[in-house]
Amino acid sequence: MIRVLPPEVVNQIAAGEVVERPFSVVKELVENSLDAGARKVVVELHDGGKERIVVLDDGAGFTPADLQLAFVSHATSKLGELADLDHIASLGFRGEALASMGSIARATIRSRTEGDDSGHEITCEGGALGEVRPSGCPRGTRVEIADLFFNTPARRRFLKTGRAERARIQELLGRLALARLDVDFTLMADGGEALRLPAGESLRERLVRVVGRRVADHVVEVDRTWGNLRVHGLVGRPEIARRDSSLALLWINGRLARDRGAQASIRQAYREFLMHGSQPVHFLMVEMPPDEVDVNVHPAKSEVRFLDARRVQGLVHEAARTALTAAGERPRTGAGAVQVGEGKPRALTGLPSLPGDLFGRDAGRVSPGGGSRVAGIRARADSDAELDVGAPGSAAPERSAPPSTVEPGDTEPSPAREPVFARIAGGRFVQALDLYWVFATDDGLVVVDQHALHERVMYERLRARHDASAPTIQRLLVPEVVELGAREKAWLLGHAETLAAEGLLVDDFGGASVAIHGVPAVLSRVRPRSLVESLVGGLDDEDAEALPRLREAVVERFHSRACRSSVMAGDRLDDREVEALLEEASRCEHPHNCPHGRPTVLTFSGEELERFFKRTC
Amino acid sequence: MKILCDRQNLQDAFSVVGGIPPQKTPKPIVQNVLLRAADDRIVFFATDFELSARVTLDSVKVLRPGEVLLPAKETSALLRELSEPTLALESEEHRCKIESGSGSFVLVGDDPNEFPAEPTFDGTRTFKVPSAVFLEMVRRTSFAAAREETRYAINGLLLDYDAGNLRLVGTDGRRLALTSAEIEGGDEPARAVVPIRTLHSLLKAVGDDGDQDLEITLGNSQIAFSLGDVEMISQLLENRFPAYEQVIPKVADSTIEVDRSLLEKNLRRVAVLSSGDVRMVRFEFKSSSLELSAESSGVGRADLSMDASVDGNGGKISFNPDYLLDALKVSDLETIRIDMTDDATPARFSLGENYTYVLMPISGS
Repeated sequence: MIRVLPPEVVNQIAAGEVVERPFSVVKELVENSLDAGARKVVVELHDGGKERIVVLDDGAGFTPADLQLAFVSHATSKLGELADLDHIASLGFRGEALASMGSIARATIRSRTEGDDSGHEITCEGGALGEVRPSGCPRGTRVEIADLFFNTPARRRFLKTGRAERARIQELLGRLALARLDVDFTLMADGGEALRLPAGESLRERLVRVVGRRVADHVVEVDRTWGNLRVHGLVGRPEIARRDSSLALLWINGRLARDRGAQASIRQAYREFLMHGSQPVHFLMVEMPPDEVDVNVHPAKSEVRFLDARRVQGLVHEAARTALTAAGERPRTGAGAVQVGEGKPRALTGLPSLPGDLFGRDAGRVSPGGGSRVAGIRARADSDAELDVGAPGSAAPERSAPPSTVEPGDTEPSPAREPVFARIAGGRFVQALDLYWVFATDDGLVVVDQHALHERVMYERLRARHDASAPTIQRLLVPEVVELGAREKAWLLGHAETLAAEGLLVDDFGGASVAIHGVPAVLSRVRPRSLVESLVGGLDDEDAEALPRLREAVVERFHSRACRSSVMAGDRLDDREVEALLEEASRCEHPHNCPHGRPTVLTFSGEELERFFKRTC
Repeated sequence: MKILCDRQNLQDAFSVVGGIPPQKTPKPIVQNVLLRAADDRIVFFATDFELSARVTLDSVKVLRPGEVLLPAKETSALLRELSEPTLALESEEHRCKIESGSGSFVLVGDDPNEFPAEPTFDGTRTFKVPSAVFLEMVRRTSFAAAREETRYAINGLLLDYDAGNLRLVGTDGRRLALTSAEIEGGDEPARAVVPIRTLHSLLKAVGDDGDQDLEITLGNSQIAFSLGDVEMISQLLENRFPAYEQVIPKVADSTIEVDRSLLEKNLRRVAVLSSGDVRMVRFEFKSSSLELSAESSGVGRADLSMDASVDGNGGKISFNPDYLLDALKVSDLETIRIDMTDDATPARFSLGENYTYVLMPISGS
């Protein structure tokens, strides 16, 4: 017999799509609170939310009439008619959330609006809706969801331990909070305070509390605007790249979102900085008119679709790349801590001027005779005052000045610093293992990998030369015909004009084939077929830009050439060669990584050295 | 097996087959050369499954017939180093002892019975061409063939025979070299694509001496070359050669005549400064001169002018100098002819009797 399912069963089933676990309850409720204009949100969990979840806010609240409808499916104050779907500026908009919760838990909403003298409450237990009753409460809304899935035991069995559910919720709350610095967030768990994020703190400060100091210390600020599109936030320096993409976060109009295209173009910006397989860390907020983005794609609302995806991709790419470039110097682990720390004194500044004494002036005297070798380590022996960073009254004050401005006791973060290579160029160093150069500076020990650095310098040289010359085409006498998938072919031909400007000439050869008539002359030794195949390979987005992909192929060639023509580990260099290389490196665009993403220079700060020597207590 | 022979003769014969065993192979037995001695003659045989070669040497004294496998690399090296006029080779089990003067060398081979058998050949169609002529044809065209393994069909030279005329064509998609000769071979047309490696081995094995006829026999999937004591059998490549005749320009805006050896020298000079990321030399044909120039950004620039007789408007065109030098090197003409139109149209170089070279220019976008 076929029966129409009673509405409460329909609700239970639908609820599963919205409410899977305590995490989703908290997400929906906190988003509701934020939509209601709350400045303060408190989340209380008991046994990770399996026993009870309470979300308390000081937002607009429900009128008694609103409360009556709160648990009714598709009742939402946020969407009146379909046309409104075009202007979704609030986080929750489907009116499913509360109805779902009411059908699979014991839910209570207690709320008072600004204009009401007293509050009201309503309950809904397993879909059984109660009456609206008066109830005293402050302005705002308190939603309590108890005994989640009490009437659907099968679902309840799928919940994880309270601790695991809580961890997910804490992560979620942190992420929601990163986009709303104006809101005060508190997470209480089993009576104790688990997370407190006061309103008004900076993104960086909030990051310290949400993901930890190490990440917060290694991020760079970004803010770019392009017409009505703005991207701002923080991008992580390459050294905190991760194996997974869990900290590659993007918010679209305050909503945590996934967008493969945008995410991919950010990764692209990082390409030169990261080793293969690493994922960047970033916290980027994209703001755009609501009618240019479709958030109604995914039931969990985490996938979005843009009207003009390329513009968004272009801007996030540019934002990330500019920030990384501008960041220039590798951070020193110790220094950043001062900016966001809680008044912890900078360890380094408490030390006597370590560098000069260890390897500076004195080193020159320790090994007399110039360039003598002691156990494979050669001290730089010429005590030319001009090249001596540490020497007082140095003849090159513009070089030695910046480090010396960091006086002991100076707890202010130092202003924009001179890039590391400019600072160490001319400084004293020792060559170790015929591969590393060790510099002692006011910031600690700076260690340079000669091969990686030379590779970077050669790479930028080749690239600059390439960029300066007009693209040339090696035309093919016999066109090479390549068969492609329909999507790849359409994409390639769609970009044919752009590609032609860079030297790749392709046209339709009928059927599934394209004919290649010319390749960039710089790639004339690469097989045309493999060039095109690599261009369309892994194409997962029709909106992908063609030019970056082609340039990537060109750049790939420079990588290997730069590597081949660079000094190797084991090549002992003359001091003058080292000088020249450092000097050129200081003018490089991205001197801190070799083209394969390995670091060229590491700084061991005073703080780190202290840690190694267990001086911190 | 036991033989006595002249060292030089043995070395010469061995060198015909010594290059064929592959350096790397999952079947190491083919890194050997088979030596078979019987009836006062010895035969060396080597194969890499695609190409097999056999050479017969009859100025030897066979004291005891038999077979043995010689490791190709070590045997070649050893024969090069020995200087005594005669050698004695004696095999026992799978070893071969070579005695020369006061030296004695034992080479450990493998079981000759395990060695791949000589391929059976399916060919019937035979052509005859003086070996020196054919080798010159190979030299004129083989450099233009693709090196890359995967452009399978053109990783070889096309042999295109029609009515007494044999053409050899090589192309890598950017340039094409074509040469032809009148030969004996009947009326039926025939086509085959021969791996470059086979032809290089042939060049090495045969040498230029003598006016002996090279016998080329064509089968369905194989080709055999036979000259005196040497016989080679090779697989053919899939016959998917581009329609080369369409690629050769029939008309041109300008026709230029220029001294070949001077152009070669000047091109080398100018090319020194094209060593950046793109190897490119600009040609500008004026009314009676050719201006060559190249620029390597950040390194320098070269400009050079030479006499040329230009019929037509001339104009500018750029080439990868290496591609042109490859061809100029093997040309024997004093004055060559260039037919060109513009920088997007192939230029045609007439480099010798029945020798045409077509080169695609490099152009700006």
